[in-house]
Amino acid sequence: MLTKPDEPASRTSALPKSLSLGVLAVVFIAELLLMFLLPRLLPTADEVVVGIADSIVLTLVVSPFLCFFIYREASKRKSADEAMAERSRELARSNADLEQFAYAVSHDLREPLRMIRVFLELLGKRYEGKLDADADDFIAFAADGAARMQKQIADLLDYSRVGSSGIELSPLESGVALERALGDLRLALEESGAVVTHDLLPRVLADESQLVRLFQNLIGNAIKFRGNEPLTVHVGAAEREGVWVFSVRDNGIGIASEHFEKIFLLFKRIYSPSEYPGTGIGLAICKKIVEQHGGRIWVESEPGQGATFYFTLPVMGDSSS
Amino acid sequence: MNHPASCGPVEIFLVEDNPGDVRLTREALKEGKIYHNLWVAKDGEEALAMLHRKGEYSDIPVPDIILLDLNLPRVDGRDVLARIKEEEELKMIPVVVLTSSEAEQDVLKAYNLHANCFVTKPVDLEQFMMVVRAIESFWLTIVKMPTRI
Amino acid sequence: MSQQAEGKPVDILLVDDNPGDIRLTREALQEGQVSSRLRVAYNGRDALALLRQAANDANMTLPDIIFLDLNLPGMNGLEILAEIKGDDRFRHIPVVVFSTSEDDRDICRAYEHSASCYVVKQSEVEKFTEVLKSLVRLLATGGQKGGQTGASTQEETGSGGN
Repeated sequence: MLTKPDEPASRTSALPKSLSLGVLAVVFIAELLLMFLLPRLLPTADEVVVGIADSIVLTLVVSPFLCFFIYREASKRKSADEAMAERSRELARSNADLEQFAYAVSHDLREPLRMIRVFLELLGKRYEGKLDADADDFIAFAADGAARMQKQIADLLDYSRVGSSGIELSPLESGVALERALGDLRLALEESGAVVTHDLLPRVLADESQLVRLFQNLIGNAIKFRGNEPLTVHVGAAEREGVWVFSVRDNGIGIASEHFEKIFLLFKRIYSPSEYPGTGIGLAICKKIVEQHGGRIWVESEPGQGATFYFTLPVMGDSSS
Repeated sequence: MNHPASCGPVEIFLVEDNPGDVRLTREALKEGKIYHNLWVAKDGEEALAMLHRKGEYSDIPVPDIILLDLNLPRVDGRDVLARIKEEEELKMIPVVVLTSSEAEQDVLKAYNLHANCFVTKPVDLEQFMMVVRAIESFWLTIVKMPTRI
Repeated sequence: MSQQAEGKPVDILLVDDNPGDIRLTREALQEGQVSSRLRVAYNGRDALALLRQAANDANMTLPDIIFLDLNLPGMNGLEILAEIKGDDRFRHIPVVVFSTSEDDRDICRAYEHSASCYVVKQSEVEKFTEVLKSLVRLLATGGQKGGQTGASTQEETGSGGN
């Protein structure tokens, strides 16, 4: 569900066209001038004149072809830009539709599901031990299924809401966003005894609440999937090829490479809920947030060696928001 | 928990002239595990200045919840309550009226002025702490509060 | 913390048209052993009629607390809330707004209309029971705030359903 900002298509391809034509014109005029001036300035420069005449002929012959190629590349670029812009618009529309659908579905499903849960619970409590063991089991399975379904619907709703009211970009200190995320995770951090360190973090153009959420989900995961040794988490940032590459590195249980793509999908989990809690939506939300900022997110890890999650954000001064 | 993930600490605003009660409230809130900031005004006038963020108070945040003692010097708690519930920007902030008064007229008056709830301060120390924590737990975890703009 | 007289069950008016929720409330009050009297109105019109009648009739009592579902047929919850808070005879009664919506706008609007507080409808009976106990303890005017003693819950249906 990639969305890219619309690029002003005509502006980017007009420049090379006029520039190249201008250069050609200047060269041509310069050669003409030289051809007429040189014989008068240097009477013995016949070879030079002939040489210049040759180069003028060459220029005259070559320039139509050059023009042709330049125009063609420029118009190809232009239609590619327009196609890209149109595709972005379409994607944005279908994203909006999907989000609306997800919201409607999850919102309206909650009410009947609540009735199911509540009365299953009452049934279980009121008749526990009074019906036979099978009945107790059946009720327990039903109640559990309903509880899981409700959690998934709540998460789906949550996911559909990320960025649904638009994304507000503003220049902010990513370090401050990290501090806020750590504040919200205070209890979990204390309970796990985790130590979180970070590099000097840059100023970025981002949606503040989303960036806080992103950090919160990534660090929350690090806490959840910690190993036996005391948890350490390090948040870094490095500028590379015009983007900031953020990294969140932990010394937890790590991830096998066959799961690297899967974990960012909705509801996809590696471990069962009985081993580690959660419905498998945290990373899907991270991915959505990062992509809404025009970035990428990926992981590098080995089982038992911790994991490093990377995501990119544009360097400030680049985006025209 | 009520607050969306990125909302930060809960801003609790206490209007109380008795420094002993202020200290007790502070301690009770610290014991609860909720991430919060406590702002204190010692009389009605200061309370209104802080709520309107005038002058030296221009930087303080809009509170998420107000704990208001009724009997205050300068501007009475009842007047503060009336003002809060009249003003567009403040009226949706939950106001918990905390007071030593048990009189029924006070209860009615407070509710008539749209106090969100009315609590009589217990005389017993431990009970007092329990009450504050019960209020905190009720407003911060059981019911939904309006979010700050 | 209670300023009520001991011994009286708390008088609750529940305004809700969903029979599952009504039954749930009754069960939860019983589970929580909240000494209470539960009256039910299925819509705003009936709720207001009940309140106006109770205000005028010396033999009837006004409720100590109102539980108001936001999602009702006919008059919606906010309109009902505005009417209750606009009437001098019963505007002092704390109104607890119940809803399935967690939308901030809905929450803010309820508080703007002078709801005492906003509760999201629970799916777990135990949690709901705790919520009801806290509401009764902290908010209800007059009557005992229930709690430890008594499980006497009577129910009367308000003036007819829809």
